[in-house]
This record gives sequence, C-alpha cells and structure tokens, in this order.
Amino acid sequence: MGKSNKESNVAPAGGLIDVSSHKVLVANRGEIAMRIMRACVKLGVAFTAIFTKEDTASGHVRLAKELGGEKNLYRVSSYHDANELMAVADDAECTAVHPGYGFFAEDFRFARRVSKRDRKLIFIGPSWKIIRELGDKINTKRLARSLNVPTVPGSDRPIYDEMEAERIARTVFDFQVQQGIKRPLVLVKASAGGGGMGIEEVYDIDNFRSVYRRIRNYAMRQFKDEGVLIEQRITDFNHLEVQIVSDRSGKNPVHFGTRNCSIQSTGLQKRLEVAPGFSPDEINYSFDARKVLDDIVHYSLTMARKVGYDNVGTWEWIVTHDGSPFLMEVNTRIQVENGVSARIASVKGEGGVDLLAEQIRIGLGEPLGYNQQDIAFNGVGIEYRLIAEDPDNRFTPWAGLIERFGWQEKPWLTMHTHVPTDVPYEIPTEFDPNLALAIVWGENIEQAKDRGRLFLDSLELKGCKKTGGELKSNVAFLRQKTAGILQF
Amino acid sequence: MLNVTEMLEEIKNSPYREIEICAPHTGRVNFAAIQQGSKVEGPHGLWKEKPGTLLCTLDRERNPKPIAAVEKGELCLLHSELEGCFVEAGTRLAVIRHLLTRDEVQAAILKKALHLFTAPERAKYYFVPEIDKKVRTSGSQSVTVKDGMELFIMSRMKREVPLVYTGPAGLIYAVYFTHTSNVDAEQPLIGVCPPDQLAAIQEVIMRVQTEWTEQG
Repeated sequence: MGKSNKESNVAPAGGLIDVSSHKVLVANRGEIAMRIMRACVKLGVAFTAIFTKEDTASGHVRLAKELGGEKNLYRVSSYHDANELMAVADDAECTAVHPGYGFFAEDFRFARRVSKRDRKLIFIGPSWKIIRELGDKINTKRLARSLNVPTVPGSDRPIYDEMEAERIARTVFDFQVQQGIKRPLVLVKASAGGGGMGIEEVYDIDNFRSVYRRIRNYAMRQFKDEGVLIEQRITDFNHLEVQIVSDRSGKNPVHFGTRNCSIQSTGLQKRLEVAPGFSPDEINYSFDARKVLDDIVHYSLTMARKVGYDNVGTWEWIVTHDGSPFLMEVNTRIQVENGVSARIASVKGEGGVDLLAEQIRIGLGEPLGYNQQDIAFNGVGIEYRLIAEDPDNRFTPWAGLIERFGWQEKPWLTMHTHVPTDVPYEIPTEFDPNLALAIVWGENIEQAKDRGRLFLDSLELKGCKKTGGELKSNVAFLRQKTAGILQF
Repeated sequence: MLNVTEMLEEIKNSPYREIEICAPHTGRVNFAAIQQGSKVEGPHGLWKEKPGTLLCTLDRERNPKPIAAVEKGELCLLHSELEGCFVEAGTRLAVIRHLLTRDEVQAAILKKALHLFTAPERAKYYFVPEIDKKVRTSGSQSVTVKDGMELFIMSRMKREVPLVYTGPAGLIYAVYFTHTSNVDAEQPLIGVCPPDQLAAIQEVIMRVQTEWTEQG
C-alpha cells in the first residue's frame, strides 16, 4: 500500500492502472505541498510545484527543486488564481491537480473546470458533484437529516438580509430557552469562511445586529461573499472527526478512525489533535464513549455510502457533555491533521500509512485494495500545530524572522515543516504563521503525553521582529494543554 | 526647514526613474511591433482612460492580456528573446526610462515635508468605513485627523485589527497605500499636513510648479 509497485497497481476487480504515467500539479504551498511532493515520489508519480514571490524562501520551493528540479517549479502570481494553475498545468504537461487543503480544495467550480476543460485533468479529491453536495453546509444538513443523522439547529442557507438574519437568531435563542439552556448563545459565521475564521458569538439578541454587520463586512472583504450563517452555539463540547477514505468506485468507503480536535484557539482554530477521538479504556467518561465513537463512524460511513464518496474526506462532529453527537460539516478534502490518524493506523499489518499517498493513488484511479477489516489501530497520536502567535493576546499572529528552529529526532516523532532549519526565515504576512506540525506517537496516553512534553521542552525556536520584540509562539500553550488531552 | 531649491537641484541632476515591466502572471509572451530604444507613451487622456503604448500581450488560458507602458519614456531594455515563451509571474519583460513629471517631483518633495504616519507591520491597510466613505466622495484632503483617532483597519493573516493614528492633527494631504497591496513595515500610509504648516506646504507646491519644467 502507498507504493506504485506492480502489485498495488492491480485492481482487485482486475483493472490495471499505471499511476506512474501521471504528473501531478501541486497546487498549494508550505508543508502540505511538501507532503504531496514526497507522496508523489513514493508512488513514482512526477509532479510540478508552484510558488509565489512571498514564498521564495519557503521549504517547499527548496524541496521542489531537490525532488523535481528547477524545470518543475513555476512562480505564479497567486495560489488563488485558477488560470495560473491551469496554464502551468498545461505548460508542464500535468495530468492531475492536487489542491492540498485551503485554496481550491473545496471549490467545486474549480474541480469541475479541471475535469471538464478541453485538456482534461484529474482533480485529486472527490468528484465536483460530491464537493458541491457536501461542501454546501446546508445540503449536508439536509442529507444528514434525511438519514436520521443528528445536526446542529440553525439556518439552512446563507443569509443576506439583516431582517431575516435577526428573525432566525431570535428563533434559535427561543429554541434554546425552551430547551432549558440557561445561557443561550448564537453563532454568526461567514458562510464562505472556514477554518474558524469569521465566527462570532452573540450572547444577547440586542447585540445581534452589530455582530451580524461586522461579520458580513468581514466576509465581504475576505471572501467576496457577504452570506452569513446563524446557528445555535453549543458550549461545553468536544470536537471530533472521522477520517474517511474511499476509491473512485464510491462503493466501499473505509474509515481511518476518529480524532479529537477540541483544543483550539479562542478563534476556534485547531491547535492540538489527538487520535483516537476518545480513549474509553484509559479514561472514564460520563457517557458511553465507545458507543459515541461507533455512532459517529457509522453515521459518517452511512453518508459517504449514500453520496458515493470517492476520495478522502472528514466528517466533523460536536459531542456534547451528555454524549450526544451532532454533525457539524463535512470537509471534502485532505485535512491538516490527517497525519495523526495515519500515525496510529496500519493496513494489513503494515504501519507507515500515508494518507496523502493513498489520496493520490485512489484519486488517479487505483482501487483501494483493502477493506475495513484490514485496517487496525495502535496507540495514541498527538499532533501539535506550532504557530507563531501570542496565546496571551487572543492568539494574535506574529510575523517576523525565525532565526533558529531545531528539534531532536526521535523514532516516535514526525515533523512536517516548510521553515528551513539551516537559514533564517522571514514569515510572510500573506499567510497564517504556521511553522510546523509535530506528530508524536505513544503506546498509550501517558506515554504520548510524556513524549509530547519531551519534544516541546527540547524544541529550539527563536526569532525577532524588525521593529523589535521577540518571537511569540504557542509552545507553552501546547505544553499546558497536553496534560488534559482526551478528557471531557 | 525644507530646502526646496536644494532638493530640486538634486532631482534635476538625475531626473529619471527606471520602471521594470514584469509579467503580472504566467503566460505566453508576444511582443508588439516595438524595439529597444523606442519612445513609449504612458496612459493618457483627461482621465488617463487611454492605455499606454502596447509592449506585449501575455496569453494565458486563451485570454490575451495586453501589457502597456505605465509611464511615458524610452524603452531602454526589451527582452525580445522571450518572444513566444511561456513565462513565470514576475519575469522581467522590459525597462522604461522615465523622465519625472512635475507631479512626481512634487509628490517626492511633499513626502519629505509632510508628517508621515507609517505602517507598524507589513499588512494591508484600509481606512475605517466612515473615513473611507469620506475619502471616496470628497477626497483625502477633506479628512482631518488627530492623535488617538481610530483611522485604519490593519489586515494580515486574515485577522483585522484597528489601528490608531498618532501624530499631529491636520489634513490628510497624501495617501500612500491601496487596498490591494501590502505595505511594508515603516513605509508611509498617509502624509499629514498640520494647519500651521499649510502655508509652507503650499509654498513647496508653488515652487515646484514654477521651477520644474515639464518635458513635452
């Protein structure tokens, strides 16, 4: 698995697909671009990478030169410009596009364009129809409800009208009062947003309009779409995910377990992820955690089968304090935290699972080649997102020069970073100041936590700002949060 | 006190600016019927609605984008060896040697005369909505700023924070940022003219208007 050898090219059904005849455009930047390039090399698939002026010093540019040579690297004006990507794909004679995460990863129009243009390309992700169906939070909600999958109460489409928005907010407030919730909360979020951006809470209906206007204006500036969603804000919950993988047949989705992504910034952005999602064997929960995990996996696979899901994807869940799960949304793409699930998984007894390689392989048409019984899980994985930010100041991003960055290599540690460790690196202000992903594995929770702390304590991370001031990072925050992982 | 005469003399000694014309995006280059050493026009017309001399077209996804001279001048370098090639974004296509205009000289001198409020971080900047509306409808010189006034929204890494103006009260005489581009740290955002210096600033403008001879 994960290799382009002759055995893995042979489909169980008898089809023969030669993935090595393909060339993938890596339509992303940073660490995910590096993981895609390495997965391509592992599969024997050629690739072409891109970068913008601001990313000249990024590790992904250096790696692209090392693995693919200067000819397979193009400077583009923007990662957001589909015309640039198509033009480069044609000039480099690519046959497929890997969008990574962010940018075009969940843009069904882009996926459709890629697969329908004169010179067709394979979009390495779900088919555009599935992205359209599940990428729309409202459609997802409707589909889920039709399959008796529980969802969060709230608006069932983006709202553009202030009066209507206020009416829905009042209904959601009233609903919570009727439910006996003492402190009802409404969440206002940019419909076109994602990754926790453009979300605010409203505690008092009298403040709704000002929050609504602020989010609407923000959404217009950042996403060019002022549509806003209004939902019940559920407090005191855990954020869980189910990792789904399915080949182009869409008939046999499997899961790669659950993740717990509850440790987030104040802006609701993930900072620390753990696989599996709960650990009922080691921690006592006030509800049947095993059943919750089984239920969310079952619901996710049910939906995946219903739509004929045909690549990797993540079903995101809210689990309340009483153990009730609600489907939040489906991310029709590879996620940042895929590596932590892969780290605890094995297929047919072999570890070293690479979900990006799996995504590319099945995206190019290879059958999955194994079923759920072939997948096993062992131990606990923790993913730390190392970010230049100030947790004491509402996680304000920090931009400046990274002067020193280093860690001790360990067999239980996997690092993904685009930040060079041998030369200083200026963080570009055009993007989030993510520095690295560190994935730590342990046989059990305690060992994983001990190793996690050992890693964080040995980390060397220094930097400064041109205008003065030392580097701010979330290392201390991550260390402090390590103690309570998987506890509810 | 600003020595306008000295500054004008300095500019007169080297009154040119070299402007690099680079590919704004990827594409296949086709140069216009133009040669190195040719004179080119910048955008012209009452509202600069007429584009400058066509230098080349950049064809990408069947969309030919005309690349025109952005200022009047002489084409001192033309990378004609790129004819028919697919180029990356940022590839240098030509260089124009441009003789400074009176307005440019005036702006350069004013930049030294005005109180400059600079960007604290590399970021994109916006005026707060009510100021933005005023600037759009009546021009920046209709806005008076004062110390402690919430004037900008600083946007970087998808986060927006308000930015307060610090400095002397006065009119916004010049705006040095656009919504679409990042401003580097310590680069000016606005030039402010305090009321007690208004006469001196107007004197600078008058001196440039009378002493700088515009080339035809």
